[in-house]
Amino acid sequence: MEKQNSYTSSFKEFLFKILLPLFLIVGAAGLIFNYFFEKKIILKSQVSGAYKVNRILTETYPDEIPIFGSSRAEMGIIPDSLGHDYFNYGLYGTHYDVTLFFLEQECKKIKKRPWIILNLDLDGIEIALDDISNYIYNAHDPAVRELLGKEYKPYFSIPFIRYFGRFENIYRSYLTDKVAVSKIVDKGAAIEKQVIPQKEFDKLVAERIGTLQVFGINPDLKKKLFYIITTHPERVFVFVIAPYHPCCFQGYNFDAVNDFMKLLRSYKNVKVFDFSRLPLPDNMFFNTTHINYSGAVEYNHYLKDSLMQMGVH
Amino acid sequence: MLFNSLAFLIFFPVVTLLYFLLPHKFRWFLLLAASCFFYMFFKPEYILILAFTIVIDYFAGILLENEPDKIRRKKYLVMSLIANIGVLAVFKYYNFINSNITGIALLFGCKNHLPFLNWLLPIGLSFHTFQAMSYTIEVYRGNQKAERHFGIYALYVMFYPQLVAGPIERPQNMIHQFYAKHKFDYNNAVNGLNLIAYGLFKKIVIADRLSVYVNQVYNNLDYANTLSTLIGVCFFSIQIYCDFSGYSDIARGTAKFMGYDLMVNFNRPYLSKTIAEFWARWHISLSTWFRDYLYIPLGGNRTGKWKWYRNLLIVFLLSGLWHGANWTFVIWGALHGFYLIFGLLTKNIRGSFIRFTGIEKLKGLYTFINQSVIFILVTFAWIFFRAENLHKAKAVINNLTQCDFSYNLNQLTMQKGPLNFILSFFVLGLLWLSYLLPANLKMKHNLLFLAITTFIIIILGKNGEAEFIYFQF
Repeated sequence: MEKQNSYTSSFKEFLFKILLPLFLIVGAAGLIFNYFFEKKIILKSQVSGAYKVNRILTETYPDEIPIFGSSRAEMGIIPDSLGHDYFNYGLYGTHYDVTLFFLEQECKKIKKRPWIILNLDLDGIEIALDDISNYIYNAHDPAVRELLGKEYKPYFSIPFIRYFGRFENIYRSYLTDKVAVSKIVDKGAAIEKQVIPQKEFDKLVAERIGTLQVFGINPDLKKKLFYIITTHPERVFVFVIAPYHPCCFQGYNFDAVNDFMKLLRSYKNVKVFDFSRLPLPDNMFFNTTHINYSGAVEYNHYLKDSLMQMGVH
Repeated sequence: MLFNSLAFLIFFPVVTLLYFLLPHKFRWFLLLAASCFFYMFFKPEYILILAFTIVIDYFAGILLENEPDKIRRKKYLVMSLIANIGVLAVFKYYNFINSNITGIALLFGCKNHLPFLNWLLPIGLSFHTFQAMSYTIEVYRGNQKAERHFGIYALYVMFYPQLVAGPIERPQNMIHQFYAKHKFDYNNAVNGLNLIAYGLFKKIVIADRLSVYVNQVYNNLDYANTLSTLIGVCFFSIQIYCDFSGYSDIARGTAKFMGYDLMVNFNRPYLSKTIAEFWARWHISLSTWFRDYLYIPLGGNRTGKWKWYRNLLIVFLLSGLWHGANWTFVIWGALHGFYLIFGLLTKNIRGSFIRFTGIEKLKGLYTFINQSVIFILVTFAWIFFRAENLHKAKAVINNLTQCDFSYNLNQLTMQKGPLNFILSFFVLGLLWLSYLLPANLKMKHNLLFLAITTFIIIILGKNGEAEFIYFQF
C-alpha cells in the first residue's frame, strides 16, 4: 500500500510539476507567438504564398486585374509595369491545380474589370502544390482543404503547432518583401535581380539540353479549366507564355502546345499571347526557364503593348 | 519507426503508460511486442533476420554454459560468431566483395559471373549483430550467465530504444535490468524527458538544418568554391555528431523514463584534445566493443611497439568497414588509425616542441589549439565518410585546396538562401549554449529547460522526418 502510494505520488508530482505546466507554458507562449506570426508576418508580406491564398479567399478589389500562375508568373510579370491595378498571385513551384483554385475563387467575385491574366507553362497543365505552408493559414477553408487533398493533416487546425517546420518558409517570404536583397518585389511579384555569370549560365544550358520537355495535360484539370471559361462568359481569360531560353526547345513537342493554344483561341472570351520565343540575351535570364529583372522589364514591355492592343486599361 | 516521427510521438506515451500499468511479470512481453512493432514499422520481413540471430545466440549461450570441454566451447562460440558475421557478410558486404572481385577479375582480363544481390540492408543490422555477439562472447568468457528466458534474451537484442542505432549494450548491463521491478520515478521521468528533448533538439533543429547546406555542397561540388566547401565539410562534422548523439540521447531518455539505464554513447567529443580522447568520447559503445573483443585479444598495447601499431590499424580498419561496405569507410578508419599511430610516434618530439615554446603555460590557448587541431583532423576524415565514392571525396579535397575564396552570395549560401545560412550558424550558437548545461542533463530548472527546448524545436525544427544517418549501418 505504501509502495503504491509513493508510486502514485511520484506520478502526480511529474504530472503537476512538469507535464501540465509544460503544456500550459508552451501552449500559452505558442498562442501568443502564433497570433503575432499570423498578423504581423503572414498578412504583412505580399509575396508570401500564404498571403496570396488568404487574399484571394477573403479580399475583393473590384478594379484588380489578377495574374495567376507558377514561378514564371511570380518571377516574370511586374504588376506596376502593366498598370495600377494588377496583382501578381503567382506561386513558386505550383502548377495548374493551384492556378485553377485561384481562378475559381476569382470568378466567384463581382468585378468591375473582366480581365484575368493566366500564365501558361510549356510543360503543360499538371498538378503541383509545392510548399504546403502556403495553405496552412487557410486550411480551415473547404476549398483549400479540397485543394490539399491527401496533404491535409489534422494538426493544421492546431494553432502554432500547425506551422512546425514551416515557420522559416513564410518568414523567408516576409524578409524578401521587407529586405529584398536579391529580388525586386512588387505587388506579389518577386523577381530575381542578379545576372548569372556567363560561365555558370552555360553550365545551366548544358544541363538543360537533352532533357526533353513535354507539354502534358491532366484531363481533369483541362476539363475544369474549360468549364470555368465557358461558365464565365463575362470574364476575359488572357493566357500568356513567358520567355524561355532557346535551349529549352530542343526536342520540344510544339505541336501539342500549338494545338492547345488553338483550342483556347476558339473560345470568344479567351486571348493567348505566346512570348516563349521572345529573343532575349543570356544576361536577361536567371536560369533557362526563368527570366531575371532585366528580362522581365523587356517581356513586360511587350506584354503591356499586347494588353493595350486588346483594350485592357 | 523514427524517433522524430508523429508515430513515435504516439507510440512512446502509449507503451510507457501500458508498461507502468501492467504487472511486472507481463512487462517483458509488452516491451518485446512493442520492440517488434517498432522494428517492423520500417520493413516487416527483416524481423526474420533478427529472429534468426536471436535463436542461434540463445541456444549458443546455453550450450556454451553447459559445455565443460574447452575445445567444444570454442567451437560453439565460433559457430555463433560465424552465424552472426555470416548474416552481416551476406546483407552488408556481399555486393562490396563481389564488385571488388569484378574489378580484380577485369584487371586480369577475366569475367566475374557471381550475381549481385538486390537486397536492402536491414536497418541497424550492424548494431544488433554486435550486441548479440557481445552476449555469446561474455557467456564464453564466463562473465555472463546464459539467459534461459527466451523472451528476456530476445528483449536484450531487441529493446526498442537502442535496437536500430545503439548504444551497443553489454549483457552485464542490460539483462539484469529486465528482471528488476521498475516503478514510476519522478527523477527518472524528468531526466528521461530532458534527454529526449535534447536529442530531438540536436536532430531536428541542428542536424537536419545543417544537412540542407551539406547536401547541397556534396551534390553540387562543381558549383561550390573553397569557402562553401569548407563550411559544408565543417557543418557535416557537427551534423553527424548531432544526428548520432541526438539518437543516443533519445534512446537513453526513452529507456530512462521506464527506469532503464543505457550507457552514455557520446561525451562532447569535439572538446577532445587528442585523437585517443576523441575515441573515448565518440560512439563509446562501439569503441569499447572493439577494445574489449578485438584490440585486447590481439594483444592491445602490451606487445611490441610495431604490433601495437598493427593492432590499432586493424581495429580502425575494421571499425571503418563496420560503418559501411565501401572503400571510403575503410579510408576513414585508416585515417583515424594513422592519426593515432602518428601521434604515438611523434609524442616525444611534440612534447619537446611544446616545452620549448612554453605554450602549455597558456592553458586556455593551448587547449583551444589542441581542440582545433583534433576538429580539423576529424573533419578531414569525415570527408571520406560522407562522400559516396572516392571520386567525390577527391573532388571535395580539390575544392578545398584550390583556394577560391571569391565572394558570391549564391555560391556562399549554396542557393539555399541567406536565411538558411544564417539559421545554420544560429543553431550552432544554440548548440554551444547547450554545452553550458550539465552533460547528464540533471538540473534544477527542468521545466524551464523543457519549455524552451520544446519551443525551439517547434519554431526552428525541420519538418520532414529525416532518417538518422547511422540507420544505414
